[in-house]
Amino acid sequence: MKIALFIPCLVNQMMPHVGIATVELLEKLGHQVILPKGQTCCGQPMTNSGCFDEAKKTTLKLLNAFKGVECDAIVCPAASCLVAAKENFHEFDASPEAQAVIDKLYELTEFLHDVAPIAAFNKPFNHKISLQLSCHGIRMLDLATPSEQMGPRTNKVEAVLKAIPSIEIVYPGRYDECCGFGGTFAVDEGAVSAKMGKDKAQAHAETGAKYAVGFDPSCLLHLDGMMRRQKLPIETLHIAQVINAAL
Amino acid sequence: MSTNHSSAIGSAVHAKKAEIFCRDEARVDWHSKALWMLREKRDRAAASLPEWEQLRQLGSELKLHTLTNLGHYLEEFEKNCLDNGILVHWAKDGVEHNQIVHKILAAKQVKKLVKSKSMLTEECHLNPYLESQGIEVIDTDLGERIIQLAGMPPSHIVVPAIHMKKEEVGDLFHEQLGTEKGASDPLYLTRAARAHLREQFLSADAAMTGVNMAIANKGAVVVCTNEGNADMGANLPKLQLHSMGIDKIVPDLDSAAVLLRTLARNATGQPITTYSSFYRGPQTDGEMHIIIVDNGRTEMLQDKILAESLKCIRCGGCLNTCPVYRRSGGYSYNYTIPGPIGIAVGAQNDDTNSIPWACTLCGSCSYVCPTKVPLDKIIHHHRRLKAQAGKLPYGKRSYMPLVGNFMASETMLNCSMSVARTALRVLPGSILKPFSGAWGKYRELPVAPSSSFETWFNKNRGK
Amino acid sequence: MSSKQSILNALKKVAVEPQALPTFDVAPRIDDVIAQFETNLNTVAGTLHKTGGVEALQAHIDELTAQGKQVISTTDGIKGNRAVPGTAHQLRDIDYAVIPGDLAVAENGAIWVNNKNLGHRVTPFICENLFLVIKADTVVANLHEAINQIGLEQGEFGVFIAGPSKTADIEQALVVGAHGACSLNVYLI
Repeated sequence: MKIALFIPCLVNQMMPHVGIATVELLEKLGHQVILPKGQTCCGQPMTNSGCFDEAKKTTLKLLNAFKGVECDAIVCPAASCLVAAKENFHEFDASPEAQAVIDKLYELTEFLHDVAPIAAFNKPFNHKISLQLSCHGIRMLDLATPSEQMGPRTNKVEAVLKAIPSIEIVYPGRYDECCGFGGTFAVDEGAVSAKMGKDKAQAHAETGAKYAVGFDPSCLLHLDGMMRRQKLPIETLHIAQVINAAL
Repeated sequence: MSTNHSSAIGSAVHAKKAEIFCRDEARVDWHSKALWMLREKRDRAAASLPEWEQLRQLGSELKLHTLTNLGHYLEEFEKNCLDNGILVHWAKDGVEHNQIVHKILAAKQVKKLVKSKSMLTEECHLNPYLESQGIEVIDTDLGERIIQLAGMPPSHIVVPAIHMKKEEVGDLFHEQLGTEKGASDPLYLTRAARAHLREQFLSADAAMTGVNMAIANKGAVVVCTNEGNADMGANLPKLQLHSMGIDKIVPDLDSAAVLLRTLARNATGQPITTYSSFYRGPQTDGEMHIIIVDNGRTEMLQDKILAESLKCIRCGGCLNTCPVYRRSGGYSYNYTIPGPIGIAVGAQNDDTNSIPWACTLCGSCSYVCPTKVPLDKIIHHHRRLKAQAGKLPYGKRSYMPLVGNFMASETMLNCSMSVARTALRVLPGSILKPFSGAWGKYRELPVAPSSSFETWFNKNRGK
Repeated sequence: MSSKQSILNALKKVAVEPQALPTFDVAPRIDDVIAQFETNLNTVAGTLHKTGGVEALQAHIDELTAQGKQVISTTDGIKGNRAVPGTAHQLRDIDYAVIPGDLAVAENGAIWVNNKNLGHRVTPFICENLFLVIKADTVVANLHEAINQIGLEQGEFGVFIAGPSKTADIEQALVVGAHGACSLNVYLI
């Protein structure tokens, strides 16, 4: 398939290794990967602050970067940004062209589970990982059934990862409680955000896993800062890095 | 919904109050754990019913149906109440509610009123009003009595004294009820409160309760308690009053059954509260009054998104699951009702303009809610309303337009982030920390890469 | 304009789309409702007595009255040592009340009691200990079924009682015996 990458600003600027792993793994799976030019912020920091006027310019610029791009899917290795992009594109542009872009948007795990499943992994991943099921991915993108919901359960993240040879998947206590990043919340509500992050980092460390693995780079960046401050014997990895290492 | 904030809550921004709450980390852990236990009990109770999600859907639909036909159901309710010998009063706001209550009590020369838990009367600040009129008000729910004796407002809508340790309750009871000094056993303290409150029930001139559901086609109100305090009150003195928001109406008994099945399960994990009492008229020779209160609710119904917050049945489930509430306490919200539902129904009158931001938008509350109130959506909407009114906290009003322009410009973003990455790489953390604000205060700063992903892509995959 | 009228007027412009009242078609769990009832009654701190019937209950009450306990019964065929007093307040020293329930609910351990069988409405709350008597064939599966069978005529009072009164308001520690009865025994006849 021909895949256009949606690389959110945080990944582009601060976590390029997540973008690189995404490119490499998609190419290993036989896809053609392109990076449409002119990508800006999805507008989430502004809309989540209530500032829709301020979000409009950057959202529409990002949308324009994808309009008319010839591809089968637009894939993003960041669940929260993807959700915001979908919502904000819809908010500011009701055109069929905008809808065509929205219809092609996939979060990476979602893409690898629903659209182009991985036939087989070639290499083992000899580590125990503790899954970080971030909020927007599970509660807005249905990547996994949230703990509050009863009835049949799905977990696309685990479904994709468990096919990797030798991998051991565990979960932290209160496994889908928010890590406390929350965008500008981390700055506006510094004390509560830090306490949530500390609790989450410790919960991951208590599993004895070598890595806390997630699909949302912003949560991982926050947890990484917490783990290093607490000097916890665990590191963060993005799901793309784990999958790439096993292909 | 009232603009008359309790002074005990005060108006400082949520973040500040939360920061103070967070200074005692052991207590935060204790508070968070106590509430998470309720969430776990809720999960077990919900999981025991295969029809749980169906009940949530039915609860949501029946509440929406009622809200969109509220005028019809309220009139039907009133008519049926009158047929049952119940007197009905209407109050447009908290002030009028309090005046009506006082008038009813004054007409019977009531000196002492026993009251069971009612978030509505908290919202209307009834107690201080009646006390100023010389009427003694005794809150009879144990948690409510504890905080009343301590001179505090509730910190949770179902377990109002959840923030207090048993030793603190022991000290309070020693001072106020004469229990043994140093005694803190919950059984001992509860028995002492039972003995103390029994005398109050027996000597009260009137009783007042909140209402969990008001059944339109029967003209009856349902009151749920575990302690039996509402019924001990309402069934001893000859005068009983019940205050209800207009949103408490349900069409019929079938609707009430749906909500009764989820209410206690979602609140505490019990299959049903100990007592679910249906009052369809006064006791022999008694007098029963129902006061129907608006106090801002009709205004919320004018906004499609805010309207859904009136589906709430006050189970408190959203508070228990909220990671922010558990770590910031019930007194940080500048409103009588804390947590997600408190933000949803209280943000309009939040003069600190900060409570809609006391939320990570994680969405757990919306999934916990037994009537599917879309709390995260409502909170997000409140932020937009605040922004539109030019009422933004935390300096957002000045920096958000800058961020908006900055984020929309790849050139600016690329140049400045390149500088930032360099700074993060070359400068020692001790120099950077003072500049990195709340991030670096609590976390290590990110390990900065040498170049952006786009630079890598163009170099390695560029044509 | 009266407050009633201003509220009703404001309700003419609700922003939510009209929505039909849903149909309540929840499937009941019909396997062994008595066993379900017992399990749930235990969960809410009540105790079920399935054997012995009215005779065993009367024998138990006779023991209690012999010990000087104050027992009031509003149940046919069960005799205590106290009659329904003139005022509700005179029930303050009642140790045991024996009251018939109209029906019981398997899913939550609750029993419906109507004021016709109470003497004074406060009886099941003010007594120190409560005995509820129910017929085995009145146990229904869930609240949807129960709610359509309860008696709640004009002017009446009725209550679902699930266990003895309880509270966990002090540090989440469960204490049985708050303001209502401190124990609940249910007799199946």
